[in-house]
Amino acid sequence: MRSTFMGLETNKRGLFTQQSGLYTTGHNISNANTLGYSRQRVNMQATAGFPGVGLNTPTMPGFLGTGVEAGSIQRIRDGFVDHQFRQESNKLGYWESRSKAIGQMEDVLAEPSAYGLQQSLSEFWSSLQTLAANPENGGARAVVVQRGEAVADSFNYMHKSLTEIQTNLGKEIGVSTKDINSMLEQIADLNRQISQVEPNGYMPNDLYDARDILLDELSSYIPIETSYEKSGGRALAIAEGTVTVSLKMKTGQAIELVKGKEFGEIQPDPTILIDPTTKGNVAITGMTIRSANAAAATPYAHSAFLDAGKLKSLVDSYGYTDGNATKGLYPDMIAELNKMAAAFANEMNKVHTSGTDLHGNKGTNFFDAKIPGDAFTAGNIVVNEQLKKDPNLLAASNSPIGSAEVGNGKNAKKLADLQFNGLTELGGSTIQTYYSGVIGELGVNGQQAERLTFNTTTLLGAVSHRRDSISSVSLDEEMTDMIKFQQAYNASARMITVVDETLDKIINGMGVVGR
Amino acid sequence: MRVTQSMLSNNMLRNLSTSYNKMGKLQEQLSSGKKVNRPSDDPVVVMKGMGYRMQVDKVATYQKNLGEVNNWLDSSDDALDGVGQVLHRAKELVTNAANTGTMTPEDREKIKIELEQLQKQIQDLANTKVGDKYIFSGTMTDKPLYENGTYPQLNSDPTNQATSLTGYEKDVEIEVFDGVSLKVNTTAGKMFKEINELFEGIKNNTDDTYDFSEAIEKIDGHMEAVLTARADIGARSNRAELMNNRLEMQEGAAKKQQSENEDIDYEKVITEMLTHESIHRAALSVGARIIQPSLVDFLR
Repeated sequence: MRSTFMGLETNKRGLFTQQSGLYTTGHNISNANTLGYSRQRVNMQATAGFPGVGLNTPTMPGFLGTGVEAGSIQRIRDGFVDHQFRQESNKLGYWESRSKAIGQMEDVLAEPSAYGLQQSLSEFWSSLQTLAANPENGGARAVVVQRGEAVADSFNYMHKSLTEIQTNLGKEIGVSTKDINSMLEQIADLNRQISQVEPNGYMPNDLYDARDILLDELSSYIPIETSYEKSGGRALAIAEGTVTVSLKMKTGQAIELVKGKEFGEIQPDPTILIDPTTKGNVAITGMTIRSANAAAATPYAHSAFLDAGKLKSLVDSYGYTDGNATKGLYPDMIAELNKMAAAFANEMNKVHTSGTDLHGNKGTNFFDAKIPGDAFTAGNIVVNEQLKKDPNLLAASNSPIGSAEVGNGKNAKKLADLQFNGLTELGGSTIQTYYSGVIGELGVNGQQAERLTFNTTTLLGAVSHRRDSISSVSLDEEMTDMIKFQQAYNASARMITVVDETLDKIINGMGVVGR
Repeated sequence: MRVTQSMLSNNMLRNLSTSYNKMGKLQEQLSSGKKVNRPSDDPVVVMKGMGYRMQVDKVATYQKNLGEVNNWLDSSDDALDGVGQVLHRAKELVTNAANTGTMTPEDREKIKIELEQLQKQIQDLANTKVGDKYIFSGTMTDKPLYENGTYPQLNSDPTNQATSLTGYEKDVEIEVFDGVSLKVNTTAGKMFKEINELFEGIKNNTDDTYDFSEAIEKIDGHMEAVLTARADIGARSNRAELMNNRLEMQEGAAKKQQSENEDIDYEKVITEMLTHESIHRAALSVGARIIQPSLVDFLR
């Protein structure tokens, strides 16, 4: 037997459910511009029909509907697109960081321009030619010394600037690992909260969103893989559960960084990147990783990591040890400059000491190391102090020792001709051709990084577009929904009026026959 | 595909930023006049550009050197011309002096006085300076050839056969191209010294016993040597001239290559800029139109 007030109950449910639809619409609209917010939908479902199923169920024609209820409120999201997004995001993280590192290097080297090493070398050679033509001219001598200083300064400046940028990259590595570790912790914490809420049959949508933002961000630093584990209890079938985050390695191995409410930790190896005694940058050997649940950390070599993510890119730029050799964008460039500076200084000294100065004495070294006796590097090359004080000590002449020939510029000519001499230290290239080779290689690397940055940005843009197409809030749609829910609400209310009227008929209109 | 407001605004932002990027690049090109401003813009162009720059700088240096060469050669030629004239006058005087019959001692005295002046002039010419360089002093350009009444000891003197040349006899060379050097000085020390000795001889022997014909012969010999030296200078000038032409050609070629390699085509870049500007305007106005209206505006 149906209840008298069943209609009221049915439509009350209608009112409530449409109201929750309206409120969810309001929530969506409010969060239309919230970063990482996924639109939500009320999953409405018809309530169990009347009569219920059972042994002593009264027989009556057909089930009678009892209305609607909000089964759950769900985020609209596509896990596959998220996966794609994170894949592209860690590629972009890698290339963007690399492109930035190369860009900074290009800024320091400043080629092609009127301020680069090429220009100061060119001016130096030219001043030597002038000296060869005017060896007796004190001005020409002073200019050679000045230009020599300019070359040394260029080398010093580039060495110093590159080292500084490298140090900054090292700091960025430190900050990045801190960021990563903090994100791992936050994800684990969200997992904990989610695993507490879900068993009660709730859908913690805002926690899911927060977790997904963290996963997106984490994926730009390191290549990650995610899997989900259902919460127990009365968790809804569509509840997402806790996330397990693993770091993908080159071998295909996956190291679990977050599992449930446990989280691991990544540390660069060594942790201190500046040598306390030499104040120099220390190359990274790899990373020490403590996985979630584990007590001890395991070191992994740099080569074991996939070429993806900002962290790997930073280390690639900063420098890492491969066997015993230090490699990487910055160490490589600094090594090239050191090699060039050494080859240049040694050859200049060789020819300069074979000449005779203005007083008929044997030529001294043209270039010195800052600390006498050290091997030449781009950082320590300086013009001989004595030459700076007295340019007459420039060995421009090839006269026999003891006889001064002021007008003899043969040795200056030989020095000037070093410009065209292939140096064995540089594999037979001249300084300038070697340098343009170095710049060319940098250019090619930069171009590749820039192109891949552009490509991955485009891809990421496309994926992000697709994700937005699924998850972002459309005001038009919400407005339409609003009208839909509003009308349904109104209609339910009207239904209540109808039921009211029928009850009125029963209560007030019946049993007064003949009145 | 479902399209939402945030997608539209994101898209618009992305498009605008791409468009700004392109315009920024074009602006950079227009203000620098160069296609490339960093190696990654185009590594090949940059590498080639560095080579051409080197070439251009090198040619400029050699051109500067050639100026120096011409300076030396012209001055040497002028000085030797002076020597020739002095010798010419000396020959006249000596020829007169050789007329043993008609010469009075007073006449001889006058000739002697003039010869003395001529000798001085030769000494002055031997010390010809260009800037602060003595051009006939070999590589000893800070020392005058004739100093304190004497000429320096030379290795080519029969009495002084040292193993190597003295600085006064060494060549001064200036490089005018990769590995091509031109000798710019004239090693005339020995000549000046002999002319001086000759004058000394004539001056001291003005009576009839002196062998004037031998002196005339010697003067002729020196005149011949001066002419030979000048011809040599002329030949070197020709070489310098040729080198100059070659360098000018190289300069033109290198600059042209450099320009073709890295300079922008202004018409092209400005046109591109204008095109981008209008695209950008379109993007802006389309964006402004698309973003505004939503259902909200029409629901009452």
